[in-house]
Amino acid sequence: MIALSDYLTVAALLFGLSMAGIFINRKNVIILLMCIELMLLAVNINFVAFSHYLGDSAGQVFVFFILTVAAAEAAIGLAILVVLFRNRRSINVDDLDTLKG
Amino acid sequence: MSFEQILFYLFSGVLVLSAGAVITVRNPVHAAMFLVLCFVTTSALWLLLEAEFLAITLVLVYVGAVMVLFLFVVMMLDINLARMREGFARYLPIGGIVAATAVGIMGLAVGRINFGLDVWPAPPARAADYSNTRELGEQLYTTYVYPFEIASVVLLVAIVAAIALTLRTRPGTRYQKIEEQVVVKKSDRLRVVQLESEGRK
Amino acid sequence: MNFEIPNFMLAMPEIFVLGMACFILILDLFLSERSRVVTYLLTQATLVGAFLLSLGLYSSARELTFSDSFVLDPMASVLKLAVYAAVFMVLLYSRRYLRERGMFRGEFFVLGLFGVLGMMVMISAHSLLTIYMGLELLSLSMYAMVAMQRDSRVAAEAAMKYFILGAMASAMLLYGMSMIYGVTGSLELGEVSAAVAGQGSQLILIFGLVFLMVGVAFKLGAVPFHMWVPDVYHGASTAVTLYISTAPKLAAFAMLMRLLVDGLGALQPQWHDILLLLAILSLGIGNVVAIAQTNIKRMLAYSGISHVGFLLLGVLSGSPEGYAAGMFYAIVYVLMGLGGFGMVILMSRAGFEADQLEDYKGLNERSPWFALMMMFLMFSMAGVPPFIGFWAKLSVLQAVVDANMVWLAAVAVLFSVIGAFYYLRLIKLMYFDGPLELSPFRPSPDVALLFSVNALAVLLIGLFPSSLMAICRQAMGL
Repeated sequence: MIALSDYLTVAALLFGLSMAGIFINRKNVIILLMCIELMLLAVNINFVAFSHYLGDSAGQVFVFFILTVAAAEAAIGLAILVVLFRNRRSINVDDLDTLKG
Repeated sequence: MSFEQILFYLFSGVLVLSAGAVITVRNPVHAAMFLVLCFVTTSALWLLLEAEFLAITLVLVYVGAVMVLFLFVVMMLDINLARMREGFARYLPIGGIVAATAVGIMGLAVGRINFGLDVWPAPPARAADYSNTRELGEQLYTTYVYPFEIASVVLLVAIVAAIALTLRTRPGTRYQKIEEQVVVKKSDRLRVVQLESEGRK
Repeated sequence: MNFEIPNFMLAMPEIFVLGMACFILILDLFLSERSRVVTYLLTQATLVGAFLLSLGLYSSARELTFSDSFVLDPMASVLKLAVYAAVFMVLLYSRRYLRERGMFRGEFFVLGLFGVLGMMVMISAHSLLTIYMGLELLSLSMYAMVAMQRDSRVAAEAAMKYFILGAMASAMLLYGMSMIYGVTGSLELGEVSAAVAGQGSQLILIFGLVFLMVGVAFKLGAVPFHMWVPDVYHGASTAVTLYISTAPKLAAFAMLMRLLVDGLGALQPQWHDILLLLAILSLGIGNVVAIAQTNIKRMLAYSGISHVGFLLLGVLSGSPEGYAAGMFYAIVYVLMGLGGFGMVILMSRAGFEADQLEDYKGLNERSPWFALMMMFLMFSMAGVPPFIGFWAKLSVLQAVVDANMVWLAAVAVLFSVIGAFYYLRLIKLMYFDGPLELSPFRPSPDVALLFSVNALAVLLIGLFPSSLMAICRQAMGL
């Protein structure tokens, strides 16, 4: 039998990995966007697992909405990325240093 | 070890490894491909959890649409690969420490003590005629009709924002005028000219 | 399947705003550049209409509908009214500013309205799911509005930072929500609250609460999750800064109240400690770092962070009086924030951003009236009596003292005294330094009038604070 803790552990691993990814890929916006998708995936695994073990479909409904919002979020994130690239011909976060203080 | 457990460890192993690859590979296209692998294996895990509708949606929406959008943007922007890896080694230790601490604490919290089988017994399998899609559908259009409507607004905002941010009309760009093309008649474009026939000299 | 038809009447303002936003979106397509003002007027009319609808729906009862995921209580009504008023003023302030910078576009107003809808959803949310949906609707609109100034490098950079950090915070919030759902087995706040109260082991709930608080603290802009605030306020065009720095704070306050008080009320001892930490750090860092700023937008951003610290003080005292004080503080902060950034808009003109402190040097010589009005606002933010900011600080401190935390009140007072320094510095610049430019100061009449009304309101409500305070106390059922 697979325990609930197994699923939650996989989700925690995924969440931790994506947090590490955000730290080590500070320079690369596109990988940062992918890390955010990974974080949301980890949350979704949590919700689906809880929903299954609770025998309650609310968790799955929540995941349905997270998927919808995440798709919208990705679209806006990529649009901002395109605006940024057109302005400075680079998406290197290191070049994003105009704002300091 | 039961068949289900073998599947679980297989898919979650691949999931964690490919998540690791997403954050470490050099090329963003490869990272996107590994992210696709993450989504596919997650979808398999969700099938084990009897969430069939979401498993399919994840593949259709995420792999089919969102990741294609990612790849499209990666290809469209001319990214300097060499510069993107700068500082990778510098941030690796701190990233590793952050991840290890986070996973350590989270692992303790969600471990067997709190969420083991003795505390959360596995639910019995659903009957063969159980339809996950039907259940979610009924819920979505009744109990969750309010968030459902808001979700539609969120998508509308995404459309408006993406167009407002990226659509540019440059002066001098040539456009098709479809309506004019459709209503055009032979007489508008074709002129039959009667020429005097010239006699042979 | 038993399903009750929801009471759509309660959500009438939401439905109205949504319908109008869609209508404006389509109508704007058919308007020429010259008649774009119709879009603007319709947007303002929508806010007025929603104000009237919400006012009509005001009642002291607490009503739930949409399968208990929507709540209309006095707190929701009052906060919604404040949101409409704040956004109305934001648009009034920024009309000319947007026009001069080529941002007077239909999409801007439509996204602004969708943002208002997001705030309304957050304010009236009674389930984890609706809180999240409202929050995302608001956040996505704001990310896009920041990036709307497409030819500006700083705006694009600010939008990207805002987006990445915001999306990360949402993911944290969701992780916390997933834990709370797992332990309580429900998304609906009433059931969550009941389950939390009957819970033996609270370890997992606290684990979830920590993640939840990270997300909420980020959205409020509390230290140590404040990194985005100065960058975004600085990088965004001032009209957008005006929008994101005011009304969304009311929605964030509502989110805090719904999650912590309505949902996790039984965990009050735990979230009290977390809020205490956030509040002290925000007061300290906000006030101290603001002193070092030379850009007035960044200075106001750090000042905003310290005001959030005060707002949290009100909530953490854990009594209805404290919540009322927090709500009063949030509304007052919005009024003062409008004035603060409105001042930047007032001083800016086509091709010139008055965002450096030295732009305000010697304003008294150029225009004594506006120097006086700005002095009112700065005094109010610093908490000098009899301005409204003083009463807001006083009511929060009162609640803190009532909760037997006199030392905390002393710390808060100490930091406000430090904070008074940079407000007074601006007054010094205006009154005792020579102006950099000697041309007479000619602001546009509509912004000048609005700014004067705004600043005089800070004084007048400060002279008679009891009615606003009474509204807030009534909203908390006192």
